[in-house]
Amino acid sequence: MTASIDETTRRGPIPETLPEDYFTDVPGVGNIPRDIYKHVKSNPYGDLPRYSAHIVLQHILIFTTFITLAATGIPLHYAHLFWAPYVISIFGGIDNAQLIHRSAAFVMIGACVYHVLTIVASTIYKIIKKEFDIRRTQVPLPKDLFDIIHDVKYFLGIEPFRPKMEKFMYKQKLHYLAILWGSFVLIFAGTALLYPEKIVLLWPFDPSFIQDLARIMHADEAILALIVIAFWHLSNVHIVPGRYPAQWTVFTGRITREHQIEEHFLEYLRNLEEIPEEREYMRSVLSELGYAEKKGGPE
Amino acid sequence: MPPNVENDDKETDPVKQRYLLPAIILLFILGIALSNSTNVEAADQENCLMCHKYPDLALIDADGHVKNFYINEHIFLNSLHGQVACRGCHSYIKKFPHDTENQKVNCGNICHIKPPWAEENFSHKKIIGVFESSIHAIKPGDSPLMKKSDPVCKYCHLNPLYKQVETIDYSKTLARCLNCHKRKGVTLAYRHIMHRLRRKTSRSSQEIVALCAGCHGNVPLMKKLGLPERAVTAVNTYKESVHGQMVALGSEKAADCINCHASSLLHDIYKPDNPKSSVNEKNLQTTCKNCHKKINKYFVKIAVHPSLEDPHNPFLFILNNFVLRLILYGTVFGLMGLLFMETYRRKKDGANMKLKSGTSWRKKKK
Repeated sequence: MTASIDETTRRGPIPETLPEDYFTDVPGVGNIPRDIYKHVKSNPYGDLPRYSAHIVLQHILIFTTFITLAATGIPLHYAHLFWAPYVISIFGGIDNAQLIHRSAAFVMIGACVYHVLTIVASTIYKIIKKEFDIRRTQVPLPKDLFDIIHDVKYFLGIEPFRPKMEKFMYKQKLHYLAILWGSFVLIFAGTALLYPEKIVLLWPFDPSFIQDLARIMHADEAILALIVIAFWHLSNVHIVPGRYPAQWTVFTGRITREHQIEEHFLEYLRNLEEIPEEREYMRSVLSELGYAEKKGGPE
Repeated sequence: MPPNVENDDKETDPVKQRYLLPAIILLFILGIALSNSTNVEAADQENCLMCHKYPDLALIDADGHVKNFYINEHIFLNSLHGQVACRGCHSYIKKFPHDTENQKVNCGNICHIKPPWAEENFSHKKIIGVFESSIHAIKPGDSPLMKKSDPVCKYCHLNPLYKQVETIDYSKTLARCLNCHKRKGVTLAYRHIMHRLRRKTSRSSQEIVALCAGCHGNVPLMKKLGLPERAVTAVNTYKESVHGQMVALGSEKAADCINCHASSLLHDIYKPDNPKSSVNEKNLQTTCKNCHKKINKYFVKIAVHPSLEDPHNPFLFILNNFVLRLILYGTVFGLMGLLFMETYRRKKDGANMKLKSGTSWRKKKK
């Protein structure tokens, strides 16, 4: 079977040479070109499932508590700068802000525990049903490293198309690992600051060292998290082309079709297997372009 | 009404009628004036204000400094010492008019004021005795610079105005005192004491730190006085600590300088190696327990004046100044670089900002 590109329907610049894996043959659907996302229709509120209700709820809990924690904690770290007392006055004084910070911290730890329980339970459920696939999880795999190299090549114009990536691409995995490490550090350092008399019993040889380490790590990790979320995460999900002014996945748990195909192509292929409606839709798009599988064999 | 008034009504006296209304008004005004002037007779029994009421009463001393001796009666009468006669403190004045060269006030004088709860006259002598044994007292062996730099009573105690007690219902609480005590004495005592009972001092924690930092924050002076290194940097290291950060934001719970460095006597500040000092190694647990209830012997080893510049702690110094900064800048600039590259290429590939009519990859109009 040889499929060619229809020059009239293509959008965007055409690469000089097509890579070998440009077409993906999906039985019952047809030959899907890698840049099909330029031709599909998407609902801004999301077309395909991405996050369960649990994950959406956990995300809401985490980001509300994160904003509260940052707003009450960062002014304390910069207590001697002019703006800090004004921010603290919003919460009715530092003693109130301290109480709010600690309460929000416990809610956030609760959300973390809730998340771990969700992940463990659903993994066990999938293993029992024999549906578990490590490629659909957040576990970093060697493929992610190759994806980064491929994607940077695409950014530089060396590669014509983005790599075919899983449900969680390298960006999500990096971010997830950072959150794992960050919450581990923040929870432990925060505990050391909240219960200094208990923590010294764990390391009685140099109590001052542990306390200073906790103080530095808590502040540093919080500032790192705040900067990464304020500048990178928010712009990455809401301000880049195709997502502006807001991506609704955060509340709906659903991802737009064009986003799924562009950045999570391999997950989209699984969507085609699992969702008959999606298969029908893709076949209709492909037949418009002339790539659909005809009854009785390919075109 | 007394019976003789009824008789007066029958025979109308024209003189009485003419002066009755003005007399009532006059009495009324006098009554208001008298009822509002309770403090007037107290402080200035010897009419010092005859001269000191003039705002320009001043002289230029040998150094060329203008010294003003004006006393604002209204401010002074409402201050903590408003009830003390001028010569209660300025006791060296024996003649009138007095000399222009005068001694300094001696706060150890016995006042001619009896508190409502005691038999003897009031005196600050006891607390001055505590202060005289503390590190801040002038000692015989001190250098002239140290003698000049040591604080005197008036450095901290500024004869402040009575503070309003806002958190409790003033009149209600006072009413209970008045069940036994006379109004005049107990009202003054109440106003004098209440703001000190609620908190350790009448100054806020922030004001205490500012007061101590007035001298101890002056690093060149502290070095000149020959203080040890930890005392020279004490203000800066305190401000770096969690206590210092909390107090800087107005916390009244976090420890300020005297919370740790003095007992409830407030004036008993000693060097840490003095066994009487509240920050002496043997007394640390007691001192910390004022706020941290469940402590142990390891807890008191935590640095209250932490210093990351400490040469004894190279690990934390390198971690804070190099490793963590490298991670921070590396992560942020790395991720932002990827983001900008990605956005640039996707825009070039034809992506639009907004997802409109089902796609963000629509053709641009030619």
